Parts: sequence; C-alpha cells; structure tokens
Amino acid sequence: MQRGLHPFLTFLFASLIVLFTGGPVILSLIGSVVPDRILLDGSKGLFSEGLNFETYRYVFTGQLPDSYLAENANRAMISDAARQVPQSLLNSGVIAFSSMVLNLLIGAPAAYMFARYIFPGKKLTFMFLILSPLVPAVALVTPVYIMLQTLGLVGTQAGIILVHTAKALPFTVLILSVFFRKMPSEIFEAAVLDHCNHFQTFFRVALPLALPSIGATGLFAFMLSYSEYMFSMVLSGDAATRPVSVVMAALARNTDVSWSLLNTAIFIAIVPTLVLVIFVWRFVVEGLLSGAVKG
Amino acid sequence: MWSLKRFPALWLLPALLPVALMTIYPVAYALWTSLHSVMLLFPGEPFVGLDNYKRVVSSNYFQDALRNSLVFTLLAAPLVVVIGTLIALFLQRRFFGSQVVRSIVLLPWVLPGAISAVLWIWVFHPSFGVLNGLLRDLHLIDGSIPWLTSPRYALVSVVVAHVWTQIPFAVVLLMAALSGINSETLEAAAIDCRSALKRFRYIVFPEIKAMIVVLVVYNALTAFTSYDLVYAMTGGGPGTATTLLSFQIWRESFSMYDFGSGSAVAFIVVAISAVLIVAITRALPSDLFAEE
Amino acid sequence: MRTLFAAGMLATGILAAQPGAAEDLTLEFVVWNYSLETIQDNVKKFEEANPGIKVKVTDYTWPDYQDSLVLRFRGNTPTDVIYGGQDWLPAWGAAGFIAPLDSVSPAGAVDELKKDIAGFALTDVTYKDKVYGLPYYADTISFIYNKKILADAGIAVPTTWEEVTAAAEKLKAGGMEHPIVYEYNQELPNFYDAFVAQAYGRGAELFDKDLNPLFADPNNEAFKQLQWLADAYAKGLVQSETHESKIIPAMNTGAHAFTIVYTYVLAALNNAADQPRAGEFALAPMPGSTHATLGFAKSYVVTAQAAADPARADAAWKFVDFMAGQPYTVAKRWAVEKGLGFAQLPLFQDKDVIDAWGKWADVKSLGDQAAIAKAGTYTEYSSVWSAYFRPLLAKAMVGEASVEQTMKDGADRWNQLKEQFANR
Repeated sequence: MQRGLHPFLTFLFASLIVLFTGGPVILSLIGSVVPDRILLDGSKGLFSEGLNFETYRYVFTGQLPDSYLAENANRAMISDAARQVPQSLLNSGVIAFSSMVLNLLIGAPAAYMFARYIFPGKKLTFMFLILSPLVPAVALVTPVYIMLQTLGLVGTQAGIILVHTAKALPFTVLILSVFFRKMPSEIFEAAVLDHCNHFQTFFRVALPLALPSIGATGLFAFMLSYSEYMFSMVLSGDAATRPVSVVMAALARNTDVSWSLLNTAIFIAIVPTLVLVIFVWRFVVEGLLSGAVKG
Repeated sequence: MWSLKRFPALWLLPALLPVALMTIYPVAYALWTSLHSVMLLFPGEPFVGLDNYKRVVSSNYFQDALRNSLVFTLLAAPLVVVIGTLIALFLQRRFFGSQVVRSIVLLPWVLPGAISAVLWIWVFHPSFGVLNGLLRDLHLIDGSIPWLTSPRYALVSVVVAHVWTQIPFAVVLLMAALSGINSETLEAAAIDCRSALKRFRYIVFPEIKAMIVVLVVYNALTAFTSYDLVYAMTGGGPGTATTLLSFQIWRESFSMYDFGSGSAVAFIVVAISAVLIVAITRALPSDLFAEE
Repeated sequence: MRTLFAAGMLATGILAAQPGAAEDLTLEFVVWNYSLETIQDNVKKFEEANPGIKVKVTDYTWPDYQDSLVLRFRGNTPTDVIYGGQDWLPAWGAAGFIAPLDSVSPAGAVDELKKDIAGFALTDVTYKDKVYGLPYYADTISFIYNKKILADAGIAVPTTWEEVTAAAEKLKAGGMEHPIVYEYNQELPNFYDAFVAQAYGRGAELFDKDLNPLFADPNNEAFKQLQWLADAYAKGLVQSETHESKIIPAMNTGAHAFTIVYTYVLAALNNAADQPRAGEFALAPMPGSTHATLGFAKSYVVTAQAAADPARADAAWKFVDFMAGQPYTVAKRWAVEKGLGFAQLPLFQDKDVIDAWGKWADVKSLGDQAAIAKAGTYTEYSSVWSAYFRPLLAKAMVGEASVEQTMKDGADRWNQLKEQFANR
C-alpha cells in the first residue's frame, strides 16, 4: 500500500481531526458536569467542586439538583422539558430505525435495477428520483401536513416514518446504485451462467458483496431521520411520540434550562446513537478494509 | 448491463411510490400556490400568474438571502468534499489509534442541527465562548472576536459549523468508495508512480470520481437549502448577514401569512438548485448516468 | 368526502350510545410547552372537577407555536382551546379561526371577569370590541441592570437613555467590552416588542388613533429611540444574543451590565440555584421621560371550530373559566410556583404572590411598572407588518441602513397593508 507517513505528522493530523470533530462534544460533556455557577464564573477553576452529576440525576429521576433545595432558591425554575429527553431518544430510535429498514428494503432492489439494467423509462424514473429532493422541505410542509391530516397520520410515529423514508430514498437509491455499478461484471456473468434469475442474482450475489455499502447507506438513512427537524416538529403532537431533534431544539430556547442542564441533555442525546453508530460502523469498516468488496 | 423489455415495476414501484406520494402532490400544490394569491387573511385565491415571483425577486430580503445562500454553498460544499477526501485518505492507513479516530470522526453526524448549533455557539460566543477564551489565554487577541455578531465573521462561522456536521458522511462514503479500489491496482501504482500526488490524480481519483460527484451534489443541495443550523445559531443576523433563502420561504409563509410568495421563493430555489446540479455534473463528468 | 365520513361516524355514535351513559367529550388543548407538567396537573384537576370532559394536551415549542397553529387551522386538525398571543389575535379573529368568548359563555360571565383584568391585558384580548381570551400570562418588558456592577463603578441607575449611554461608556472605559447585551433576532416578534417598549419609555406614540403611522417623523420618540440603538451599536456598547436564554448565562459572567427583556427573565437571572450572580439583578423603570413600557398578555382562546359545536363550546368555556376565571386559583399557582406574571388584578394584593416574588424581584417596582404599562398596537395585519419590519429594524441597528429610510419604509408598508386589508 502507500508508504507510511512520518509518525509525527500522523499524530498531528490525527489530533487535528479528533480536536475538530470531537472537541465540541467534549465541551458538552464538560458543561454537563460543571454547574453554571462555576462554569460562568471566570474566577473559579472548572473542576474546583469536582464533578457534578445532579443534572443527569434530574433528567432520569426528576430529583432536583441540590442547589435547588437551598433556602432561597426558586424550586420551580428548572424546566421539566429536559426530562423528555430519554423518552424522545427511544422515539427517535424507533423512527430512524424503521425509516432505515424501509429504505434498505425498498431502495436496494431499485438501486440494483438502475445500476445494472437498461429498461424503458429508466432515464425518466432515475431523473425523477434524483430531482425529487430539490424542492426545499420548508415549502412542502403545508401540503404534506394536509395530506397526512387526511390520512389521519398527524401526531403518529407512522406519519413521521413515512415522510422520513420518502425523504431519504432518492439518496439511498443514488448511493447504492454507485456501489452496485462498481461491482465487477464477471461475478454477474458467472451467475447468469449458473442459471440464476434476476432476483437470485440480486439476492445471492450482489447483496452479500454490497453489505458494507448497505451498512453505510443504512447509516445515512438512519442519520437523516434522526436529525430531521421540520417534519418531525409539525407531525408530532405530544411528548410520547416526539423525536429527540424537536426536544433538543426546544431545550436550546428554554429560559428555565441552565447551560449545564442543556449540555447534559445534549450529552445524553449523543451517547446511545454514538454507540449504535460506532457498532454499525465497525461492522462496515471491518467489511470494507478486510477486502470484502475486492474481487 | 442487461436489457429488459418491460419496466421492472416490482423492483422499482416500492421505491417510487412513497417518493411520488411525498413529491407529486406537495410539489404540484406548492406550484399552484405560487401562481395564486394565497394569503391567510384574505379570502379567495385568485390566479396571479408570475406576480408572486416578481414581487419576491425584487425585494431586498431576497437579494441578500440569495447572495448569502450562494456564498454559503460555494464555501461549504467544496470544503466538505475536500476535507472529507483528505480525512478519508488519511484514515485508510492503519496506525496506532486509527480505529478510535475513525469512530470519533462520526460524532458530528449524530447530532440534530439544534444541538450542533448550541455546541458551536458555545465555541464562538463572545462572552463565554471557548474559542475567544483560548485565543485570549494564548495572548493572541485582547478583546473577544465577535464571531457570530459581526457581519464579516458570522457567515464564515456558520459555514464552519455546517461543514463540521457534513464531514462524517463524506468520510464514510469516500472510505467506502476507496475500499472498492482493487488492491492490485494500487500496488502496481505504488511501483510505477513514486509521487503520492500523481498516484492520487491518475489512479485513485478516477475510481472515486462518481462518489465525489454524488457528494458535491448532495452537499451543494444541503448547503443551499440549509435551515436548522444557521437559524439556531444566528437567526439570520446580524442584520441580514446570515439570512438564507430557506428562511425566506418560512418567513413569507408563516410570518407574513403569504403562502403564495413562500412557494414562489421555493421554486426559485428549485430552479437555482437544478442549475447548480447541472453545472456540477457537467464540470465533473462521471459514468453515473451513462448507458453502456 | 371526509365530512360525509365524519357525519356518518357521528350518527353511528349517537345511535350506539346508551341513553344515560354519556360519552366522554375530549377537548383538544394546544399550548406552547412552558412547564408542561404544571399544565398537565392543572388539566388533571379540571378533569376531576368535571367528569365527562377529558382534555388532550398537544404542545409545541414557543418559536414553532404560531406556525404550527396556522398549519392546524389550514389542515382542519381538531383544535378546541388554545393559547393565544396578543400579536396574532386580531389576524386569527379576522380569518375566522377563533371565536369571541361570549359566544360560548353564559350571558354576562365575560363582562364580570373583564372587570378584574389589567388595562393593557384587556386591550390585548379584545378584537372588534369583543373579548376573545382570558389571560393566562401577562408581563412587561423591563430594563434590567446589575446592581453590584453599577454600585462598584459608582454609577447611578440611569433614568434616561442618555444616562444609559453615559453609564455604558464609563463602564466600557473601565474595561467592560459590551456593557449592554441585547436580544437581537429579527425572526422573533419579541425583537420588535422590545423596541416598542423602549419607545414607550420615552412616551412615544407609534400610531395615532386612526392607525396612521407616526414614527417616520424624526421628532417622534420612537424614531429617536431607533437612532439611540444605532448609536449604541456604532459605539460598540452592545453585544447581540440570538435568544433570551443566552442572555442569562451572558449576564451571569459579569461581562455585561444592562439588558432589556421580558420581566420573567429576571427570575431566571436571579435564580440562586444555578446562577453565580443571582441576586445582583434588578429592574429599573424604563429609561425615558414617562418610564412607561410595553405590557402584553397571552390568553386562553376558544376556536371557531369548538364554538360551532354546542357540546364542545360548553366544555371549552368550562375549561377556560377554570384556568383563568375566578377564583383565579390556576393563575395564582403560575404566579407563585413559576414566577409568571398575571393580569388578574386581585392577585397583585395576594400575600402568597407577594412572598413568592420577593425572592427575585422588588414587588413594588414590578407593580408600579405594570400600572403604567401600555399595550401594543395590534391589527389584523400588524403581525405580517412586524415580520416585514423586523429585518429593517435589524439592519438599521447595526448601521446597514439609515434610521430615516427604515422608518419611512416601515410606515409605507403599514399604509399599504392597511389599505390592502380595508379593500379585501
């Protein structure tokens, strides 16, 4: 492979990357364990009172941080909206996972078709798929809302899943078609020689080879759904179905949420998805780098 | 490539139907709205032709927003792809801790726009921001730099935050594409071509060109229609320094109750996006749409 | 088609109902999610006192509230009782989304309750001489300063805007980079409200009684206030924040001395549980010759949808009356537990309220301020106009446009909208 890079340069680049991508997240971790009264006070060292996990305790159990129990503290000036975070994580997980599964189930066959076949109407339908995300979601909110209202899906997770699936599909198909395209033709010719029909070729030959790419694309669909805000906001009506993107946006603009509590909520929101992403990414990366795709 | 006589409905319809559902009616509705005067306060929705478009285009707000959106896109999209490519190439190697780095790189991807905005506000904030604090501690500056509140810096700051959120996706796709390059090709190249730069240009780049085109198009689209992050970070300010076209759509529809104008802006965005995409795919040809 | 279906369901429901066993009626209550737990608890208490009526709470975040409600109206999503805001009330009334309260209440009930509502709040809930809402939360916009910083620097509390500039300049000379922190976000209606509040402090009238704009005149106090803002920015005295929730940590770093926000932010600023500088903040009468300020009221409003159905109308009134009517238990709870301002006059005398508020504010000054607060000017088109005017204001403040041109453009647009609306 390529010649090794000088170890110092490697370390430098690696550190820069970690600092840039991970820095802000570490910030939020620090912010979550340092109460505001220390964080905002320039004269006190950050960790002068040790680590404070009371905000985490509040989010999960509703028990007020000790400072709120002091004599002249206003017990009520802490927002209960922060306590919606754990439930919303679950909601987001369900929605994003469903959207991801649907995307892969529906998108992979379509991508395979576009990548390896010529058929009447190919250009037209491909163009349609590629051009459909062009119209900004902002302009489509009203008609989509009205449409889902008529279908009775407003306020349900199913409605949000439907919208997210449709939103990600064009990209899913596009990306997977690139991967299917790159597969060496010899494999498919061999399958034809073995009398495999279209579906068998797809299912037994193309899919296993494409697994890492499917992992990457699935991740994309998951992320798109997880971080989507606009439709999630208008289509979810109460805390029980609300995804985390909406809850977080609300917390960021809530006067009764201290900076520390906000960062706690952020960190809680990050961790499970990060674990999931790393887990899947390992699967994808191992697949990629160990030569699963190579001929 | 195989040829089929009939349209493979079974394969394609499950994908086309949801997209069509979410696209055809809403887009038609939006188009219809843009050609009529649809205002919440006025009964009746008379046909007005291109009046909404004309009015929207001649407003100052539109011109500021268009300029900002274009600058934002022209800065963000290439940055994401270039930085993403560099990181992907770098992470192809195995070095001590490379697995950790590959995982950390994914962090910005898991965050909804509202969260990323909060984090970057903390970085850029004039009073309690980390960046200013750091620069001050290093004695590089005296006062705090108004990253988010000065027209000069605000746009650049939001570009940085936006690029941050898009990098993991680019890295993931590019690493996937890079791993698809035949190892024998690379070994042969290593023997024939001493310069890493030349190897990249003549061997690696052509192999990943299709993916790069996809990424540039995707990022241009995302940047041009960006809403959540910038809105949460600056609300469009200071003045109109970070006001984007997507804000105008929302504003016309929900603040000014003028859905006709809002839809008109949306379609202008569509037109410009289409031009952008055509320009990009022309500039970077790949076999994405070729038919053998 | 859908109405037919709904009618069919209704008929079936009526036929299927056993005589004497009434079905529970469900009211759709839409709110912004401030203190959702408290809202739900209030709702529970209402349900206990009113068997047969259930209330389903749907919440949106405050910045998304107005947009979401517009969507609900356009999409005909069932909605019965909502939180109303003073700036949208006339528009929604004109569009027929909401109903006057006397169309759902027993005769005379509303007139009785009107007597207890503070002046500016009553103006805010009235449209075309009919009361559309009962106050949920009322507040004023205050000029807030850091007592300790001023005392340490030997500066007296400013009473005019010129004194504010002088104080800020002195602080800046002493090393404070931006003595004033200001909520600067052209997308938020509060951005315009804060400006109006300051103008009221100077005794400005922005519109005459025929709703003609007066602020384009350079001698108008509102014009002068915009000029003051532009000057303050030009002198580098002001730091912008995109949202009031960032003003709280910013002020608590001690890097700023003045701000202009909703009064309830004072409670958060002085929150001893979290803030390092709790207790250092106080409100001063709005600088300017009259010290008046902007008062506003959010209210419980019944939708036209609900008013059209007698059963729901009746339930909706019961609910609104419970939440905002006598004996004002719920309003008092908000005031005592959460420090929310109110518009029901008897509560100003209530000992529990006075005790609770004493923790974070001087109740007397709050009361004085509320007494001279004025309501804003709201018409069917004012919120549309405000959305248009705010970016202009924003540009003028940072010197990207002249005050004169900005005010002229604002006045022109107002007149345009006024005419357009009159001719519809």
